[in-house]
Amino acid sequence: MRIDAHVQVFARASAEFPRLLTDQMPAERAAPVEGLLGEMERHHIDGAILVQTGGAELEHHAYLRHCLKTHPNRFRGIALIPPTCDAPADHMDRLAAAGDILGFRLFDLGGPADPLAPIDVATFSTFPIWRRAAEKDYVLWLYPRARDAHLLPFLFDAFPQVRVVCNHLMVCPGEDKFSWDDKGRPRVEVEMPPQTRYSTMGLKIGRIPDNTRGIYPYENVCVHLSGQYAFSNESHPYRDLAEWHRNLLSTFGSARLLWASDFPWTSADPGYGSMVRVVDELLPGLRPRERSNIMGGTARSFLRFPLCA
Amino acid sequence: MTRPAESHYGQFAKEGYLVLENALSCDELRRLQRAFDRCAAAARPAWVREVAAGTRPAAFFDIPDPLSREPLFLELVDHPSYIDLLLAFTNDELLFIGAQFRVVPSSPLSYVGWHYDVDRQNTPTHLKIQLYVEDVSADGGPFAFVPGSHKLDSGPYPPVRQLESMPGHRTFPGSAGSAILFDSFGLHTSMVNRTGRARKSIILIYEKWSAEKFAGQRYAHLAERLDTPLRRRLFGLEH
Repeated sequence: MRIDAHVQVFARASAEFPRLLTDQMPAERAAPVEGLLGEMERHHIDGAILVQTGGAELEHHAYLRHCLKTHPNRFRGIALIPPTCDAPADHMDRLAAAGDILGFRLFDLGGPADPLAPIDVATFSTFPIWRRAAEKDYVLWLYPRARDAHLLPFLFDAFPQVRVVCNHLMVCPGEDKFSWDDKGRPRVEVEMPPQTRYSTMGLKIGRIPDNTRGIYPYENVCVHLSGQYAFSNESHPYRDLAEWHRNLLSTFGSARLLWASDFPWTSADPGYGSMVRVVDELLPGLRPRERSNIMGGTARSFLRFPLCA
Repeated sequence: MTRPAESHYGQFAKEGYLVLENALSCDELRRLQRAFDRCAAAARPAWVREVAAGTRPAAFFDIPDPLSREPLFLELVDHPSYIDLLLAFTNDELLFIGAQFRVVPSSPLSYVGWHYDVDRQNTPTHLKIQLYVEDVSADGGPFAFVPGSHKLDSGPYPPVRQLESMPGHRTFPGSAGSAILFDSFGLHTSMVNRTGRARKSIILIYEKWSAEKFAGQRYAHLAERLDTPLRRRLFGLEH
């Protein structure tokens, strides 16, 4: 079973499917689920995780919920929480009530930006979200900024029961480093391996990988092999990121890595089929079991994705 | 030069490290602590900005260009508590590589796992001094080393999920002013610091002389202060 562990779909803005409008996602732009299903069929992908985009309010999730309801055997969802939400636990419970939304995506962790400041996770603005995730077994889908990278281990330590997926190669974008390229794709200026790795991974990874004798200590954390196009300075297959992929594999193991296409941003360049092949391009020595894990096995077991696709 | 005792040779050859208690005098330590804190405080705002930009690690903070900042810092490079040991272990062909005046914030995750520092097949003898600026408790991120692991035929050592699971390792909590001299061919790490207080230490890096690492201009900006033949050799201004 092959699962694409991070995609976005959205409809043209309408009364039925309201969403926020931005320069990159104007009202007339759409990435409908039918297009994704067509790509999945062509490339033998059985299921996918649909990640909410276009707003965090309940009503903004209308198209995501429509897709999940229409295709219950193909998709599970990840929702958003408004940063100013007064009752995040209620918001989370309402969205997850149907059982097809597995968890919630966070960008800010809400703790002190100064790594030398006293750290108490109970004071983080996202603490109620983590607590609710622990209570209800929701997955947290993390794409934190660099200013928050040092906060991650404190949260992993405090909530070992919360399943976490770190998005896009565990890169934490720096302030003012995020933009959109001329192909309408997110672009992040980052030196690879990222400086944030010392906080997020430890292990002195990146300089002489064979000199390291460590495995990631938090077994509740997975990492996406995705988003390469946004960080690489090369075209597909982004060989400048191959060493970082090897580092992630040696640190996390294939049972904690998930492949994702990041559809629709990759639809035109390099194309969905190229993204399906990117793991084999960057990790050519994978054993069959490892490849199977990364391409869907990890999503199946860690996210408890159903076998009915 | 004072030659090290035979016991030092023996232990270093066998274990790959030496603990140097009270390497600094009380007066030296007080002056060092004040200067360290002053320089760290001055550089901290820029570091926090760069952390947010993703261009510097949050997991540790090094005082930029420390040897240019305080005469006291420069004096640590050939401090009498360990310079003779370093010279002896490199057959008097010692080269200073660099210094890290390092602040490591408290975190449940160590910023380094067990690791060797260098390519052990192609690097000359590579030594480090880890000098504690403040007391480091057992849960304060102490230096740790696997005795004997500096030997090329030692091991194999398994990848471990928890630092304390490394077989045969030893941790080195210590008082301010104490130092550990170690062979960085050996497996070492910084254990987890759960104290809520940052660990402050100074890491001095040396190597046996090689033409590859001898870079005559690297420390040219310090030339006026490199006022002894030993210092000029250590800093690569003379050979």
